[in-house]
Amino acid sequence: MIPSIGILLHGFGQRYDLPISRYLYFVAAGFVVVVSFVLVVVFAGEKVGERAVQYPRRASRWLTSLGRTPWPRGVGGVIGVLALATVIVTGFVGSQKHPELNPAEYVVWIYFWAATVILSGLVGNLWYLLNPWAAIYDAASRFIPLRPAFRLPALGVWPAAALYFSFACLELTSGMSNRPSIVALAALAYTCLTLAGMVLFGRDAWLERCEAFTVLFGIVARFGPVEAERDESGRIAAVYIRPWGVGLLKDPPVGWDRVLFIILMLSTLAFDGVIATPAWQDFDIALEPIWLPMGSMGFFFIRTLGLVLLTVAFLLVFIAVMHAVLYFGSRKVDRKATISAFALTLVPIALVYNAAHNYSYVMVQSQGIIPVLNDPLASGWHLLPSLAGYTPSFALAQASTVWYAQVVLIVLGHIIAVYLAHLRAGERFRTMQRALLSQYPMLILMVAYTWISLTILAAPTTTGG
Amino acid sequence: MSRARIAIVATVVVAFVIVAGVLVYANQSHGGQKVTIAVTVTKASSMTPSDLTAHHGDIVTISIKSDTDGEVHLHGYDIPFDCVAGQTVSHTFTADKTGDFEIEWESASTHLGHLVVTP
Repeated sequence: MIPSIGILLHGFGQRYDLPISRYLYFVAAGFVVVVSFVLVVVFAGEKVGERAVQYPRRASRWLTSLGRTPWPRGVGGVIGVLALATVIVTGFVGSQKHPELNPAEYVVWIYFWAATVILSGLVGNLWYLLNPWAAIYDAASRFIPLRPAFRLPALGVWPAAALYFSFACLELTSGMSNRPSIVALAALAYTCLTLAGMVLFGRDAWLERCEAFTVLFGIVARFGPVEAERDESGRIAAVYIRPWGVGLLKDPPVGWDRVLFIILMLSTLAFDGVIATPAWQDFDIALEPIWLPMGSMGFFFIRTLGLVLLTVAFLLVFIAVMHAVLYFGSRKVDRKATISAFALTLVPIALVYNAAHNYSYVMVQSQGIIPVLNDPLASGWHLLPSLAGYTPSFALAQASTVWYAQVVLIVLGHIIAVYLAHLRAGERFRTMQRALLSQYPMLILMVAYTWISLTILAAPTTTGG
Repeated sequence: MSRARIAIVATVVVAFVIVAGVLVYANQSHGGQKVTIAVTVTKASSMTPSDLTAHHGDIVTISIKSDTDGEVHLHGYDIPFDCVAGQTVSHTFTADKTGDFEIEWESASTHLGHLVVTP
């Protein structure tokens, strides 16, 4: 039973990753602890108050002029709409038996889900340019006057969090992510929902509060090095370049919905790794008497239960640590605002884990689409015969390269997170001593989370994980 | 950032790089050996042994004897073993890719085992 379930894991296709070797794991884990305490001591009390969260940025004239032209949105929109159309058409019409021969699977799980998230962290909010639903709406509104019929109730980003959770379930718990027609159906349904939502409740209101990916990439792009400022009419006033990560310090949005969204980002990413480990297999087997009799629903049930439990555990631990932070900070602060602000400082750890986890997926499996282009609908076509015999290159994915890339990424992300949390503590708790004290619980949380990331990467994977 | 702070951070980073370098050097594998693995596939559904291992650079020969006609496929290396019932099919290749590569009964996508190539 278990091996056949294993095949269904993780989008589609298999992974070739080897777990990080033991010695590298221990070096990285040890270094993370040392560097954390060194950083805190070295930077202790460097800046407090508002100064702590000010960061350098430089106006980029050419990016500003480029941003003011319609070209980036236009080109990005066309790519986004073409990708969406590819997912829906090839998902329904292309090969169902061999998902690795269906472009829909590559576009959704590798190019969109793994690569676009990583690239947006590296260069800035690509989703703002690529969002196909915003592009369709904008194109339509040129010809038809679109006015929202209703006002969106003040729900925060709860709807986006719920939709993001549903997407995570499709990927990780449904067991159907490697079925192209289901992926296409989900894309079509989400397209209808998003377009209807924008028409009924207004474009920006829907995108900013209900469209899961706009909210997600909004958070990811805070890590990125590009910052755009807009005037009152929404036109780009200036585009700045800033160091990676510091955007997470800028005007943090406040609310439990925001905190939960970030925790969901962390837990869904971790869960993707957790289900490939023997620990999960043990949990799975232990609960077999409950889920096996449920048939195909049992798989979905046990997985979703695991994801919910992991999310709740992450949330509880985070809240407990934040209470300790507030206690040691010993200054009267707005609790919700402070917790929301600190949640953002965990984002670098999640992003680097995402990049490390998906490294070889993006480097090797992404190439699998090249031979598929010869016959994307599995109809016996020979559109590009020269590509048909292409075999993926492993040049950048030898295990030793992957391990070093993973460890360097994890350590770098950890350093950025610790530094950001330190600056945030300086801003909130105002004095060096209080900031320093408040940092210890946060530091333990970050070390623990980074250890979890490393442990998952170093755990022997099970079939298909 | 003051010079002292830069020096402390730089020292920690250099120490990490040195320790990692020494450990990596000490743990270098010694590939390049000739490895021969004989496996048996039964009823297009199981393979013994199912977990095959090699080191990067080894010259690996896999011989498969199956009791059913059909293709056994080694993914990643993309090597098809066209089995005929009762006969042995062999392929020799250099293990130039590291990773965990699945071996499948191709027509039914049945998982048979894997070849793990370590650095």
